[in-house]
Amino acid sequence: MAPAILLVGILFGVSLIYGLAQSLGLLTGTDQRALSLAAYQNVLYGSEGRGTEFWTSLGFSLWVAGVSTLLSAVGALPVAAWLNYQNGRGRQMDTLALNWNLAFPHLVWAIGLLLFFSQSGLLARLAALLGWIQNPADFPVLVRDRLGIGIIVDYVTKEIPFLALIVLAALRSQPEDYGVVAANLGATPWQRLRFVTLPQIFPSLISGSLLVFAFVFSAYEVPSVLGMPYPRMLPVLALDFFANPDLHHRAEGMAISLIIAAIVVIAAAISLHYEKHAGSSQ
Amino acid sequence: MAHIDLISLTKTYPGRIRPVLDGFSLNIASGELVALLGPSGSGKSTLLKLITGIERPDTGDIHFDGKSVLPVAPNKRGAVLMFQKAYLFPFLSVAENIGFGLKVQGESPKTIQKEVARLLDIIGLPGVEKRKPSQLSGGEQQRIALARALIVQPHLLLLDEPLNSLDPAVRMNLQETIRRIQRELKITTILVTHDLSEAMAMADRMALLINGQVAAVDQPMRLFQQPPNEAAARFVGITTFLKGSLAHGTLRTDYGNLMVNTNGHMANSALFAIRPEHIQVQQHPGQNAIPGKVVGCMYRGEHIEYQIAASGLAIRARVPMPAAMVPHGENVFVVFPQEYLFAINEQSVRHSSTT
Amino acid sequence: MKTLPAYTMRFLLYGVLAAPLLLFGLYAFSEHWFFPAFLPKDWTTAPFIRIVADAQTGKSLATSLGVAFLSSLLSLLVAFPAARTLGLQKFRGRQLAWLIFFLPMVVPPLAVGMGLNILFMRLGLAGSLFGVVLSHLVPTIPYTIFTLAGVFAGYDKNFEHQARVLGATQLRVFFNITLRLILPGLVVAGLFAFLISWSQYLLTLLIGSGQVLTLPLLLFSAISGGNPTSIAALALLFVLPPVLVIAASARYLNQHGNTVREQY
Repeated sequence: MAPAILLVGILFGVSLIYGLAQSLGLLTGTDQRALSLAAYQNVLYGSEGRGTEFWTSLGFSLWVAGVSTLLSAVGALPVAAWLNYQNGRGRQMDTLALNWNLAFPHLVWAIGLLLFFSQSGLLARLAALLGWIQNPADFPVLVRDRLGIGIIVDYVTKEIPFLALIVLAALRSQPEDYGVVAANLGATPWQRLRFVTLPQIFPSLISGSLLVFAFVFSAYEVPSVLGMPYPRMLPVLALDFFANPDLHHRAEGMAISLIIAAIVVIAAAISLHYEKHAGSSQ
Repeated sequence: MAHIDLISLTKTYPGRIRPVLDGFSLNIASGELVALLGPSGSGKSTLLKLITGIERPDTGDIHFDGKSVLPVAPNKRGAVLMFQKAYLFPFLSVAENIGFGLKVQGESPKTIQKEVARLLDIIGLPGVEKRKPSQLSGGEQQRIALARALIVQPHLLLLDEPLNSLDPAVRMNLQETIRRIQRELKITTILVTHDLSEAMAMADRMALLINGQVAAVDQPMRLFQQPPNEAAARFVGITTFLKGSLAHGTLRTDYGNLMVNTNGHMANSALFAIRPEHIQVQQHPGQNAIPGKVVGCMYRGEHIEYQIAASGLAIRARVPMPAAMVPHGENVFVVFPQEYLFAINEQSVRHSSTT
Repeated sequence: MKTLPAYTMRFLLYGVLAAPLLLFGLYAFSEHWFFPAFLPKDWTTAPFIRIVADAQTGKSLATSLGVAFLSSLLSLLVAFPAARTLGLQKFRGRQLAWLIFFLPMVVPPLAVGMGLNILFMRLGLAGSLFGVVLSHLVPTIPYTIFTLAGVFAGYDKNFEHQARVLGATQLRVFFNITLRLILPGLVVAGLFAFLISWSQYLLTLLIGSGQVLTLPLLLFSAISGGNPTSIAALALLFVLPPVLVIAASARYLNQHGNTVREQY
């Protein structure tokens, strides 16, 4: 126990302390020697470009994370229900197929989408083959677009299997007999779905969805590959500031990154609450 | 609150040769509690699935109040099952659990609330509406499950070993509660159990289910004292069977001649049985006594259980306390009092071919 | 449910899963594939071999493998006793220990990496392989602990007691009983520690200071380079090990895959 606590506790704890110190203007390589909230002020209501871009980025991040989460949750339900309905070999294969999804890191998935959906990608070539477009420029902008559609498509296609597995686990951990009990008490199949099955999986779905939200909100790779220079998602903005040769921006990057972390921790805490709820009902 | 007729039910599962149910017939009067006893694999749970409608019989019919319910969907039959586990919906409160059956029928919240309160009163747990199932003890959970089953006023209540997972004291208490409520509400009930004493304590009649057929059905006391056939006798704890030829009120056996009451039994070859607690063990010869040797002797508190070997016959006798212990290896005489010996059928089940 | 929607659904599922590999294959093994040609005209392995045989690719492949292997091995070693305690015992401070392991799993690598960046520079760990491995441990150890703790929660210690009273030494009990009982969980935990480290971009970037070059970093620079052939070739190389390990541990995944809550 002790080595793990020490290793993780120290590495993580120190990274937080150093991060906090940097966001307050210390240790950034500048000659500042006193704590200052300047970085937070600049980020939150600075009049220069940075201040305004934070709010755009926050809005964009919330949009992408929110839509991705919602679509993933809605998409995962039928997949899980269908898998639960299967039995025998087919069911095992399909569960395995969902796990197969794990073999593709988000970075690879994003590259795949880039090569497929870009204006000279495979889909555009197909459109040209069918005579719908003449030039790459005629093809709609589906990745690296202003609405973040490419990013959302990436996350939704990856997270549906992720959430489906969570929902499936919830469905399978509940004794099937609850449905039998409900039918025996007079419930129709629809009422069984409405009053028994959905309440059973609801806590797990909410908990999983919040994890998805937290991940999408704080991940760097996908928006970096599939995003536009403007608007940018918060992690991209944060790293850009942090890596800026002008060391004064370092504190601002760090501040944004801590704001992201705070939002993610809150989402994870709520998720945990629902997961406990799901656990206690078994 | 209906009389139930189970008529020649047969069920064979795909890929099996032996039927699970093989012409099972039983009539249950309105308001009666029939206990269904049988070893595991005898077809008890299959029978419940047929009655509730989860499975269909291959042949035979099920009548509620004289009308076949086979065309009726499971959720419309009004045959409500209570399981070994309470299966209270963990995400619903106690009140929501009890009211579930009325809610899916579309009853108004007010009616449901009133009914829930009434049933909580009946089961003796008033005021627990707002609790979650996980906050209740095992016995309380089963009471709630009973209330949930009763609220829809079922034609037939099916109890599938509902008390098996409870402590003995709670179990006895609930046996009384269930029986009291069942009598008050006059609700037709089938109790499935493999606990003989529970069946005898609770049932108006007991039915023994062996190999998919009714091996015997009678009032508990009669079935316990004088089971009609060997299979039923073994099930109620009888292990001593005496085979011989019958002549003039005497049973001639390999172990000696025994005086028996024939009750018009005239067959040449006959099988008699006796309950272990009716067998006496003594150290001197006497009427209907055969010599034997004590090979096992166990003190069980209320009685001593002897195993006695008598010319190839293994006899199990229960001698009530207080009594002197006869030590292991001692030669004794085993007495079969005439009034307790009764004739039984060798064949366990009446086949449809024999009329 | 042998109906059309079922087949459509299955087709979609498998199609979406197979698509990336096919797509990368198209781009990696072709030349002069210009718009609007739907399929490449010239198939060739030359660019793929050129990219894979490149010294930098080889070096970063080796670095990636080394970092991921070391990270997962260290994670398992450190996590095993912690998970055993966390899964089997109730003790004071359990909640706190749990929290210490939970937070690094949810706090994004971005924040952790930025924070560790300065510290590691001061300690001289920045730019070193060891520093990068150390930083990867922040997400991998907690993940490994939680996976193994889940396994231990369903573990019956009486198997060990039984072996002990039958005369086995403690060492023997560990290797013959404990390890064998939790092997599937151990495989899954190690596998995902490997995957998390393998696909880690930010921590390597922020701690490696450009001197520790792993495949994700190479991939990112290829993406900014914009040449689809090199992007696809590197992507294939990058995805191959995960595909192989997932395939190899498929039977364990069915048992324990449902516990996977970490993304990478």
